[in-house]
Amino acid sequence: MQGEKAELGRLELIRESLVAVVNEMRANVIHSSYSSIIYEGHDFSCGLVAADGRLVAQGLDDNPIHIFAVPYSTAEIIRTFGGDIHEGDIFLHNDPYTGGTHLNDVLMLYPVFHAGALAMFAATRCHWGDVGGMTPGSLSGRVREIYQEGMRIVPTRICERGRMNEAYLDLLFANMRIAYERRGDFSTMLGTSRKAAEHLQRLFGRFGGTTLLAGVDELIARAARVMRGCIAAVPDGTYFAEGYLDSDGHGDEPLIGRLKLTIEGQRLIADFTGSSPQTMGPTNVGPAMAFNAAATMVKSFLDPHTPVNHGSFEPIEIVNPKGSFLNATLPAPCGGMVECRALMAGLVASALGQALPERRVGDLKGGANHVYLSGPSRDGGLFLMYEYPAGGTGATRCTDGNHGTRAYIEGDFNAVWSAEIVEAQCPIQVSHYGIREGSCGDGAFRGGCGIRRDLRILEAGASLSVLADKCIIPPYGVATGRGGAGNRFVVLRNGATLEPSPVPGKVGGFALAQGDVVRIETAGGGGYGDPLDRDPERVLHDVSQRYVSSEQARRRYGVVPGAGGARDDAATHLERERLRAARIMITVQAADQDEFDGPRRRLRVTPAIASRLGVSDGALVELATDTCGSALRGWVRIDAHASVVPIGPRGFAMLGAQPGSLVEIRVAPTFPA
Amino acid sequence: MSTAPRYLVGIDVGGTFTDILAYDPAEARLRSAKVPSIPGQQWRGVLDALAALGIEPDAIRAFVHGTTIATNALLERQGAPTGLVTTKGFRDVLEIGKARRLVGGLFDTGWTRPPAIVPRHLRIEVPERVAADGSVQISAQTFDFAPIAEEFSRRGIRSVAIAFMNSYVNDVNEAHAAQALKGLMPEAAVSHSAALVRERGEFERTSTCVLNAYLTPLMVEYLDTLAAALRERGVTAPVNIMGSNGGAMTLAEAARRVAGTFLSGPVGGVSGAIRVAEVAGLRNIITFDMGGTSTDVALVHGLSARMSFDNQIDAYPLQMPQLDIHAIGAGGGSVIWVGSDGTLQIGPRSAGAVPGPACYGHGGTEPTISDANLILGRLPVARPLAGGLMLDRKLAENAFRRVADVLGTTDIVALADGALRIAVAKMAGAVREVSVHRGFDPRDFSLVGFGGAGPMHIFQVADELGIPGVMIPRLPGHLCALGQMLADLRRDTVAVWGGKLSALRPGDLEAHAGAMREQAERQLRGDGIEPARQRHEFTLDIRYVGQSFTLPIPWRPGPADWTPVREAFETRHRETFGYAAADNDIEVVNIRVVSLGLVDKPELKFNPEGAGDALLERRRVWFSGWVECPVYQRDAMRAGDAFQGPAIIEEAGGTSVIPPGWSAQVHEGGSLICAASAGGSPR
Repeated sequence: MQGEKAELGRLELIRESLVAVVNEMRANVIHSSYSSIIYEGHDFSCGLVAADGRLVAQGLDDNPIHIFAVPYSTAEIIRTFGGDIHEGDIFLHNDPYTGGTHLNDVLMLYPVFHAGALAMFAATRCHWGDVGGMTPGSLSGRVREIYQEGMRIVPTRICERGRMNEAYLDLLFANMRIAYERRGDFSTMLGTSRKAAEHLQRLFGRFGGTTLLAGVDELIARAARVMRGCIAAVPDGTYFAEGYLDSDGHGDEPLIGRLKLTIEGQRLIADFTGSSPQTMGPTNVGPAMAFNAAATMVKSFLDPHTPVNHGSFEPIEIVNPKGSFLNATLPAPCGGMVECRALMAGLVASALGQALPERRVGDLKGGANHVYLSGPSRDGGLFLMYEYPAGGTGATRCTDGNHGTRAYIEGDFNAVWSAEIVEAQCPIQVSHYGIREGSCGDGAFRGGCGIRRDLRILEAGASLSVLADKCIIPPYGVATGRGGAGNRFVVLRNGATLEPSPVPGKVGGFALAQGDVVRIETAGGGGYGDPLDRDPERVLHDVSQRYVSSEQARRRYGVVPGAGGARDDAATHLERERLRAARIMITVQAADQDEFDGPRRRLRVTPAIASRLGVSDGALVELATDTCGSALRGWVRIDAHASVVPIGPRGFAMLGAQPGSLVEIRVAPTFPA
Repeated sequence: MSTAPRYLVGIDVGGTFTDILAYDPAEARLRSAKVPSIPGQQWRGVLDALAALGIEPDAIRAFVHGTTIATNALLERQGAPTGLVTTKGFRDVLEIGKARRLVGGLFDTGWTRPPAIVPRHLRIEVPERVAADGSVQISAQTFDFAPIAEEFSRRGIRSVAIAFMNSYVNDVNEAHAAQALKGLMPEAAVSHSAALVRERGEFERTSTCVLNAYLTPLMVEYLDTLAAALRERGVTAPVNIMGSNGGAMTLAEAARRVAGTFLSGPVGGVSGAIRVAEVAGLRNIITFDMGGTSTDVALVHGLSARMSFDNQIDAYPLQMPQLDIHAIGAGGGSVIWVGSDGTLQIGPRSAGAVPGPACYGHGGTEPTISDANLILGRLPVARPLAGGLMLDRKLAENAFRRVADVLGTTDIVALADGALRIAVAKMAGAVREVSVHRGFDPRDFSLVGFGGAGPMHIFQVADELGIPGVMIPRLPGHLCALGQMLADLRRDTVAVWGGKLSALRPGDLEAHAGAMREQAERQLRGDGIEPARQRHEFTLDIRYVGQSFTLPIPWRPGPADWTPVREAFETRHRETFGYAAADNDIEVVNIRVVSLGLVDKPELKFNPEGAGDALLERRRVWFSGWVECPVYQRDAMRAGDAFQGPAIIEEAGGTSVIPPGWSAQVHEGGSLICAASAGGSPR
């Protein structure tokens, strides 16, 4: 037994020591990098990967979106170079089709050897501000093929036995904007990797290489056992979820993501079969991201507190046929990787929420909200301002969401720049930055509000690119909670409000005029439970803080403030009764099949219902029950004969309702009501 | 009986005890006392401590006080009702910052952001604007602040923070608003951001200003009460407060810059360690201050502590120069438990003073680090601790048995040993944080161990990191008070000045630095420090063109070209970040000046002249196996005494556990100087 105790102590020691290496890497990247996206936006992550590609350690600030994809990249590099990896080699990779995220996220893999054998890789994935392509910053909502998104780096040995391939680097940087920044960030990654390797060598010396690597295996095995136990505790069954992206950036057709989640003892299988085909817009991802999304949500729902390593992921199985937008192939652009990943994360949350109703959580802003402003800089070069403004986060059974915050599935980066840095570095003045009032998803616990940010353009020649989602189809609520307001990106010019793109949220190089104001409004988080059950004290507090107006408190929460903002219980009770009675309830009836028109779920309603809802044919509505993992969205088809709403088997499974039961139907507004 | 003032006095108010130390250079003798702290009335603990020491109040020559008023008030949210005035469009900066979580939250669906110190309805916007180049776009001169003052007064606001956009370049609007509101609300405290921070970044500056405003009324009240009480007792010496920057500040300055006192307590320990290290001839040390709930670690290079400028308390940024002290939640009282994956975990929860470790017999049932030490024979069971407390081994064993049962083992000795190793790994991580992460190799430093639990664990930490030298100062439990007692007055100034090195002339830098120096000299003279007792040290913040973060490079007037500056920067950059870029231009961003008002530092001699018969007993102690180990009494040791580990040394306020493989010698200054034998001690 003493051996076992000593073993526990040593394992903990090994884990702490390896996490210390990653934290040191993080500090190095922040403090020596050249682009604001890294030092101000913190859009990078570090990790350690075993020689076989398994994730060994990441830090607590590192973004799972970057790091959980590293094992795929590493596997690809191992597959490509096999036994031909030597001391002094360094690899670069960003290709989404072989395990990358999007082209801007460049991975450096730095092999670390012990006793002549490959022992580990130090991995650094940094978002390079520009990797070439059609628009400054490379990400755009309007691209049609991956070649417009910049340089694609398939697994590449950039340094061979200590000899840097300068020609390759020259070619790379010659095709990227603001090249000195790219070179600087490359040096940062290189220096960081070297320091990490030095640190690892000290650990090999300390523990003995074999002991350390055996310890790593054991830590991974333990994490896998813990996760298997967590999965075994989830009720067995098959759970379904469906959700949408607004559009691929070119048409008004949404993309549907479908999930069948199976829990079978200690196995968890996430099957994305049936999702829309890949598109020619940026809303596609390579094979790494389904796993990435599922792993993040499973970790969050089942085992949020133990340290992360590959073991947590071993029990997760993914089925995701090639050719859909969730596992795309050449030449589908993949800039909208974060948007696709957010959709999949939302699907997994919805399905797991049916299995574990008490863990349900309101939906998020739906991606990164990439916003690029670029144009001539004061010193004659190019300025590039890149932000990914956060939204509100979702509510849970016992907590309100947060206003304008990086969410639990994201690394803890600055989501916007300091306004004073913006103004010192770019010909832009920030004229407003604050909470977007009223944008929260209502519920017994409400989601957080998004933010509003106004950027005034001071000089001519600038342009705007946006790559965002949930501008049309907003974040969902759970357990009858309402969705949050959607994202919105507009330009204010001479008193008019301009849509910078025919497709909201997908903007490619919109020409801005001097004096324009780019207004960014981000989504609110989804609510949890019935807003009419929300504690009136909480509503009145929200009113006192102007998170919602007193008019919204009355209309959305049924809370009537009395004199001086105090509660008026009697009036509130009456108002809530009135609002409850005014809800539109419909009977759902079993149909053989769920009805779809292309990607859109159809919901047949009578003209009378449509009129009460105030919608016409083709409007987005949702059905909500206490038991659903997320509100079930569909588009209205007015049908005089549809006295009951026909729903297929999957729809019933998602609603958790029985044929013949009454469920609420309502519109899903994208703008705060 | 009045005599010439001769005592230097340091007083450190901690959570449990108030420590006082007085030194009379003439008799070269330290007097110390320890009295219970009185929560909510720290000043009474100060008076009690003074009384316990038994020196004449008018015999005190200088008096420096470390206080946890600011820290405690923030942790308990006991600050004053505070209002915030911002530029139109920016009242939410305080609440949402740059949309980061700042504290935890990854994978946690229910994570909730700590509330803003000033709620939204007390944050009022003003139509004023200064552009990034400092030009005033909308003046605040004609704005009527009366309605804001009325609203604040109506809501019981006692302190106002003002933080306007770009005030770091030009604070004319902010200063005007401060003046106007001060006139309208004479009873309220008013802080404005640029008076505290002259650096870019509205979130950090606003947050710092709000923290300052929130805690000012409380601090002013405390300092007034303390000063009056001390005067009443006959203390005529000026009373100074220890600042987070490692120097003392006058009472007036402390009242103006409360945000500069958050580390008032722990910095004393670092300063104290620097003093004793200097006496022992050490220049590079890492201080290791382990108490009941936490361990504070700091790196000292060339006898000066590293500074950090971007700090955070809880979720609130604080942009004040502070000693770079890294704290972790592992101390003698940290609880040992089993995680869901079956591994042993330590802390961060602490058994604290109540109930305390199980072996104290005050009702604690969970095993703690102290209990582990008792089980391993490192603390006495047959005799009381030097403080008088008898420890109960049975209770410690019972507590450990509960954890052992969960793990299905009966070997509690192995369990206690394992727990200590994990705690040591965490503490070694903290040492790495201040050294390796900042580009230093810890093996080039000596570890200095103090605080109640420091000397007990420091040797294992040293072994963990391969550090060959350890020093245990005399009176390890009073080192914070020692640092306070000997603290210089200190003011930090920063000027945003510089440019690309290729376009800068060294002469211009000298002219600018000279002007900064003159102003600093004037300020210190205002504090009563003559130029002969002033020292001014310059640092340049430097980076490669294109980078954002800088490295601090010491600078002194003289050389006619930039070669030494460039070389120093590149060396430092290579060491820290793994590369240097000879082709890149470098740029100066800030000039920093540290201005010191020197107090006379007596030569510290603790004259170790014990009776010489130091051996108390021999008992079995666990060091990877049970070993027969001598236990010595430190008071009985004499300068030059030397011995080999394993050994245990007991004194009031601390127990040193010296493992096999280490040797120790009593330095004439009183410290124990310890060295690992060649090859390090066995792990």
